[in-house]
Amino acid sequence: MADRVVLCIGTKKGLFVAEANKSRRRFNLRGPFGSGVAVYSAMIDTRRATRIYASSCNAWFGMKLLVSTDLGNKFKETKSTPAFPGDDGRSLANIWSLEPGGGSKELWAGVEPAALFRSEDNGNSWEMVSGISNHKHSKEWQPGAGGLCLHTIVRDGNRIHLGISTGGHYLSEDGGATFEASNEGVGAGFFPNPYPEFGQCVHKIARHPDAPGRLYMQNHGGWPERPGIGVLRSDDYGHTWESIAEGLPSDFGFPIVVHPHDPETIYVVPLEPSTRTCPEGKPAVWRSTNGGRKWKKLTKGLPKHDGYFTVLRDAMCTDSLDAAGVYFGTTTGQLWMGHDGGDEWSCLFDSLPPINCVKAAIV
Amino acid sequence: MAISVQIPTSLRAECQGSSHVEISATTISEVLSQLQAEHPQLFRCICDETGAVRRHINLFVNDALIHRQNGLGTKLNPKDTLFIMTAVSGG
Repeated sequence: MADRVVLCIGTKKGLFVAEANKSRRRFNLRGPFGSGVAVYSAMIDTRRATRIYASSCNAWFGMKLLVSTDLGNKFKETKSTPAFPGDDGRSLANIWSLEPGGGSKELWAGVEPAALFRSEDNGNSWEMVSGISNHKHSKEWQPGAGGLCLHTIVRDGNRIHLGISTGGHYLSEDGGATFEASNEGVGAGFFPNPYPEFGQCVHKIARHPDAPGRLYMQNHGGWPERPGIGVLRSDDYGHTWESIAEGLPSDFGFPIVVHPHDPETIYVVPLEPSTRTCPEGKPAVWRSTNGGRKWKKLTKGLPKHDGYFTVLRDAMCTDSLDAAGVYFGTTTGQLWMGHDGGDEWSCLFDSLPPINCVKAAIV
Repeated sequence: MAISVQIPTSLRAECQGSSHVEISATTISEVLSQLQAEHPQLFRCICDETGAVRRHINLFVNDALIHRQNGLGTKLNPKDTLFIMTAVSGG
């Protein structure tokens, strides 16, 4: 019986695992695992007996993929990590996203430099997905501030959405064999052409499994001459996009998250574009309950002032309990939990290393 | 011709805990090829999939950085010691 809440917290100095019962009144923390090494992606795989995966980006010795079969009490390395073919010329710099595939042992990994890999054996061997990794556009993609990374994988059967910074949104409708840039309505403030075919700096894409045609995107906004290009919605499986940024204090941000029980309810953390921190030092999560038509500012329990942190693209998530918990981690090492869908916030941990990613699951 | 390759503490788990390995080679390239064959996990920590030495790894022959000699073509002499060192970098 699933009765525990598990959080995986990827930080600049390793992975932490926090665990609580369903009341979520107290989380116990363990770690760091892969101590001292940055973790940019984690995945709690509940398809069978729970496994926790985490990338471990060692600046000296290269990438490792860690796996735990005991809810994060101990980790070991998988037998291999994604690697470019020997004659490719690219070398793996980081793993930015881990997602379950269709098969029970299938994993997908989005990496830096931007490419996609697939494993059919729990991450012990990997094959590059050439349809996107060698896409005709790939040589024209440019790195954003975080590097040229494929950071988002959203799967819906044979339909696969990818977010690449800076490459844009790419869509496959044949299980990953081929991909097309699908950025109609997705703007870019750093090109003369405000709506290029590709090359946008997409920050995150999210959807609810019950509404696969509805997608949300946090794009790189904050351009005064092109307002509103930062927060977007698609109602046609990602073929076209429209702005839903009206009402937000800024359209710049990194994560965008969908409520686990309502495809119309979404969360963003608007940031001041030039500093990537909370506007005026007053942290707030903004929630829409109607697909982005109207937004409500959620601040109860959050600092009222002097809060100058950043919430990175994978550092926000929800659990799936009836009174859903919303979690976000900050670059100042705080992990916050929003109770009852974000109505009130409390700080679970306030002195962790800078947080890159947060994942939650009920196990 | 055997030379000694000194393994830093942080990488000894990749070669069964050894502090050094003996390699018969006349150049750095030959050393790395043999490491790839005999100690593949250790090799992957030193070189990326293109075969290039990782950015934050420094290789010294005795006390001389190979970058200041002939890189991977640097010649080795009997009784030379190759040191694998992690560069000073971090934060």
